[in-house]
Amino acid sequence: MAKISAIRHVRGYDVARPVSIGVLLGIMLPLVLLPLLSIFIYGTRHGLGVFWSSLTAPEAIFALKLSMVTSFWATVFNVLFGLMAAYVLSRYDFWGRNAVIVTISLPTAIPTAVAGFALLLLWGPYGTLGRLLNPQGAQVMFTPYAIILANIFVTFPLAFGVIKPVFDTMSRSLEEASATIGATRWQTFWHVTLPSLRGAIVSGALLTFARAVGEFGSTILVSGNLALRTQTAPLYIFAKFNEGQIEAANAIAIVLALLSFVIFSVLFFARDWLEFETQEA
Amino acid sequence: MTPKMQMVPDDPHTSWAPDRAQKTGVAASVRGISKRFKKTPVLDDVSFDVAEGESLVLLGASGSGKTTILRIIAGLEQPDAGRVTLHGKDVTDLPARERGVGVIFQSYALFPRMTVEKNIAYGLKIRHRRRKERRETVNRLIELVQLEKHRKKYPWQLSGGQQQRVAIARTLAYKPQVLLFDEPFGALDAQTRVHLRREIRALLRQVKVPSVFITHDQEEALELGDRIAVLNDGHLEQIGTPDEVYNRPATEYVATFLGAANLLLGVVTRGSVEIGTARLPAEKETRRFRDGQSVKLVFRPEDVCLSPDATLPETCRRLANGVVEEVSFVGSYERLNVRLDLAHRPQSADLAPVYQVTINTPERMVGVPVMATRPKPEANVTRYKPGDRVAVGLTSFSLLPNYTLAKHR
Repeated sequence: MAKISAIRHVRGYDVARPVSIGVLLGIMLPLVLLPLLSIFIYGTRHGLGVFWSSLTAPEAIFALKLSMVTSFWATVFNVLFGLMAAYVLSRYDFWGRNAVIVTISLPTAIPTAVAGFALLLLWGPYGTLGRLLNPQGAQVMFTPYAIILANIFVTFPLAFGVIKPVFDTMSRSLEEASATIGATRWQTFWHVTLPSLRGAIVSGALLTFARAVGEFGSTILVSGNLALRTQTAPLYIFAKFNEGQIEAANAIAIVLALLSFVIFSVLFFARDWLEFETQEA
Repeated sequence: MTPKMQMVPDDPHTSWAPDRAQKTGVAASVRGISKRFKKTPVLDDVSFDVAEGESLVLLGASGSGKTTILRIIAGLEQPDAGRVTLHGKDVTDLPARERGVGVIFQSYALFPRMTVEKNIAYGLKIRHRRRKERRETVNRLIELVQLEKHRKKYPWQLSGGQQQRVAIARTLAYKPQVLLFDEPFGALDAQTRVHLRREIRALLRQVKVPSVFITHDQEEALELGDRIAVLNDGHLEQIGTPDEVYNRPATEYVATFLGAANLLLGVVTRGSVEIGTARLPAEKETRRFRDGQSVKLVFRPEDVCLSPDATLPETCRRLANGVVEEVSFVGSYERLNVRLDLAHRPQSADLAPVYQVTINTPERMVGVPVMATRPKPEANVTRYKPGDRVAVGLTSFSLLPNYTLAKHR
């Protein structure tokens, strides 16, 4: 690692090094490390038995499952959409192309409560589209589908944002070579383009999933927060905390924290493995 | 549509060229190709043929449109006008994948997630050939390009030359109509490129597939091409054998682009060329010009012969006298800058022809500079130093009409 203008004071002993590392950790400690640590300390305070029984309560298991399933489908949709959007937007130039890119990226900047509210206005019983569905007795809001819709909305640009730059920098000559060899567009996409995107697709999917599992602001508005029906894991934590059942909330909090820890470890340590082939050798 | 593969394992010189119903002798033909990008014309009415088994080099500076021609033949670009014919079949409106040409990209464009074997087998795989046939073809091609030890490796584990051989084998697998090489040695160092182009030349002789190379390197063009097509600013200047384009350039551009060339302006006068005060006998060369026509005299540095006295070799036609201005060694040969005295009336021919221009006289400014090169043995026998007076002759030269307007070629 390159030394960045280290000030050497006492005979080659670099004071700046321990000091700056200390300051860095000192700032992180109360802001990030201690809060995380306290989840684990409080959660296991009454012994692993209590932790386990809180975790295996039917409501808790349902909430975790619902979070996984809704996040899974939101991820599937957003990765497929991101792939398509990245392909179209990096291959073709058309009028309004930049406007489309901005629109796709917009959901990251919108407060999640606003997103949930917007979905309610559109799909709710008196919403523009919801009104059309209502006579058929169909109802989107306050069902798991609403949660998927909310997840899709708030994680919309994540996969796209990871895949698009890889598309942009990918050498066209690979696809051209495939075409001259005799491959159809579909064969080229399947055998040549897609394998080069593997790393970006996995990263994008993990990012989307991690974000969707933790989604709260929009979910609480559109789901109705009905236990055993539309209560996701973050909503469960909120509900149990309000009811004063700290242990129950804490058990799920630990699971969610561990999950995100695992996902980001994969993203961080598997990056080399995921990305090495995207560069042309 | 795709040519049928025929396996004849006993014959070591199987052609990897496609089996064809009729042998026209012309593998690829480009007729009247024009192309503009936005409003800039890139190609202007370019036509040429590539004969069966021939290797044609498109030579031109960057921006001359050579890459565009290649991409048009491959089907990666559409011409605005003109037709492309491959083995008698008009393919102008066919997409790249239906043309069956093999393109060797400058970056080789090997598929990074596939091993050497899988790269080579790709063309057969997408054509849904049987596994056994795929394996046999891949084995023979890997043997042909001598990569037996590397068959399980990935592209990034190979050297540039090995990658290039994989790229060639990958196209040969589906018996290409024609091989197109896009600046094949551009990414390699000087030593490797010389080595590799000999290797490729030998390989092409073996597989007998007609090929088109594009390059900006004249040395490469002379060595690789059965014929060379010189492109300048989107149009074809000359097409011919290396000997023709080098020794009998049709235009000034060809003369100066392929190696160094000296250029002098002259006037045709009764079977000779008058250049200033000098008279160069040129019975044969002046035949296609009329008397009094303005011409350009083009000759290469190695066609200049020098003599410290009046005796020039018999093969040498005397041009003028001059003064050596500079002598420098350039590796394998010696380069001399000589100022020709063309401004003064020469003394009568039988008097000592060695003239009296000396360095540091006003004449020095008047003299016309030409460049000459001599091989080492000759340079070692007669040494010259700046200021030496010499007689200058030419072993060969060509004459080009001198149009006042560059546009009128």
